[in-house]
Amino acid sequence: MIETLLKHTNYLGAIALFIIGLYTVLTHNNVLKKVIGINIMETSVFLFFVSIGMVQFGRAPIIKIDQPDITYVNPLPSALILTGIVVAVSITAYSLSLIIQLYREYGTLDLDKMLETKEEQE
Amino acid sequence: MKQLPVIIVLVPLLCAIIIPLLPKKNFILFGFVSIMFGIMLSLSIVSYIDVLNTGVFRYVFGNYQASIGIEFLIDPLIALLVMFVNGLALLIVVYSFSDIQHELKPHQYSSYYVLIMLLMFSMLGMLYTNDIFNTYVFMEILSIVSTAIISIKHKRANYLASFRYLMLSSIGSLTILMGLAFLYMVTGQLNMDSMSIVISNVWTLYPTNLVLAIGFILIGLAIKSAMFPLHIWLPDAHSSAPSPSSAFLSSIVVKIYIVVLIKIIYRVFGVEIIASLRIDDFILVMASLGMIFGSIFAIGQKDIKRLLAYSSVAQIGYIFLGIGLLTPIGLAAGIFHIFSHALMKSALFLSAGSIIYSTGKRKLVDLDGIGFKMPITLITFSIAALGMIGIPGISGFMSKIYLGLALISDQHPIFLSLILLSSFLNAIYYMPILISSFLKEDILVKNSLQKDPLPLTMIIPMIIITVSVLIIGLYPQLIMDVIELALPFYF
Repeated sequence: MIETLLKHTNYLGAIALFIIGLYTVLTHNNVLKKVIGINIMETSVFLFFVSIGMVQFGRAPIIKIDQPDITYVNPLPSALILTGIVVAVSITAYSLSLIIQLYREYGTLDLDKMLETKEEQE
Repeated sequence: MKQLPVIIVLVPLLCAIIIPLLPKKNFILFGFVSIMFGIMLSLSIVSYIDVLNTGVFRYVFGNYQASIGIEFLIDPLIALLVMFVNGLALLIVVYSFSDIQHELKPHQYSSYYVLIMLLMFSMLGMLYTNDIFNTYVFMEILSIVSTAIISIKHKRANYLASFRYLMLSSIGSLTILMGLAFLYMVTGQLNMDSMSIVISNVWTLYPTNLVLAIGFILIGLAIKSAMFPLHIWLPDAHSSAPSPSSAFLSSIVVKIYIVVLIKIIYRVFGVEIIASLRIDDFILVMASLGMIFGSIFAIGQKDIKRLLAYSSVAQIGYIFLGIGLLTPIGLAAGIFHIFSHALMKSALFLSAGSIIYSTGKRKLVDLDGIGFKMPITLITFSIAALGMIGIPGISGFMSKIYLGLALISDQHPIFLSLILLSSFLNAIYYMPILISSFLKEDILVKNSLQKDPLPLTMIIPMIIITVSVLIIGLYPQLIMDVIELALPFYF
């Protein structure tokens, strides 16, 4: 059990990062910290996805015709994660722009205070 | 004919690029948008007839074979859903031409329709695609765009609602991506059909991976489609958005995520694996809790759009109940309720939007005697609300009948009693609105029957939706036949 876990430390790291990120999003009231939490979760998923494609002693997947029996790393997960990174950047950009608008309207970055002001209005 | 699905997906994307370049005149913008939606609807009708005649149709991009490239799969159900989404969207968009003039500033109109077009693009892509990573990409576009059509109304409540929606929906999409990573670990494929072949061969070897995968994916899609304990973003988001956006979000967008879940449960994993991993019990319990608690929360609401949003939580519970049974008849009932709830909820949101448009009133206590001032709007509202309660002759009744039959044939009488309880709770919060609007007197003026103070572009879509609710209620076979035709591809 422990041996298999030690072999796959990157999986453990990914799961730990995922939980840290989720904890940050759910427990912090500061909206900026929530976005940071989302970013940590994103990183964890990317780490996990890329390590799936890892092959022990594998090379970068550039095929050389004269050496046909070299093992390569699976390139597909890395290609997918490039798309994932683009998506993550756009979500971060959009949520930061929302935070700017929220700060202009409420004058605070604390989500609880924002919710209180909203209830007072009603 | 062969290229039709791609054209249907690409037309809205192209429109999203063209709309900002159009001259800043309202009639040009509105004309262009409605013509484009008309084109999309007619193309999807052609593709639907084509699929009914020739059977399931696969489209491969760039002639790469399916396991390498991206594949579109069009079965009768997907073709029907695409046609339905296009038709309903056309009606909501026609309605929005007048409504957004009250809710947005003139310079925002074109950006609003850019967002609507991107919304259509991502939803149609998600319906068609047979590639699981492609689904994820469309899902991210959809989640950003559906947040943006809430925050486009520049009010502080909208910013707050869309920020909370964005955070939860990003958690949802990351959870889904994590689940896809676990699936990819087992299968090494991204195409849904190849995945399901690999999974059915090796699933006894990797049960942990598959449980983690379906768990992550189910939780992620449950956040996005507002399954009961994860629904907290929905009431704020759906009630503060402009009324056409609420109708889009509540009646169409949420359903698209449910269709993705149906694809993953039934086509990627398959019924037997899901049943032996005991995922179905979880879905059934959450669905029935949602049915009851969504209705209980709705009873206390004072704002009409918040009430409708909570009612969505309850109705989504019905759909999940049908899906969670894992029987053909249960799945058929769930899919039927997707259609009937989409029609009824859009009718409810559009009529609530009309009340806000002409009187500016959102509180339930202000609605006394409004049935005499706006008879057509309130008749629409009443028919849809009675359908939600389950009065015979309206589509909501038929979906409850189908669901009840499915529950009885699968030996789950407890859930049947929960459906009855939930219908009773529905009556508790819908009937007071109907009573106060038709039977009570306004404090200031005496009740006298008037014409609705609304433009025709708002009245006609409401009438069409109401008529189709009644037609589907009286002739449910129109949709049920197609669903039964499509069921073999899901089992």
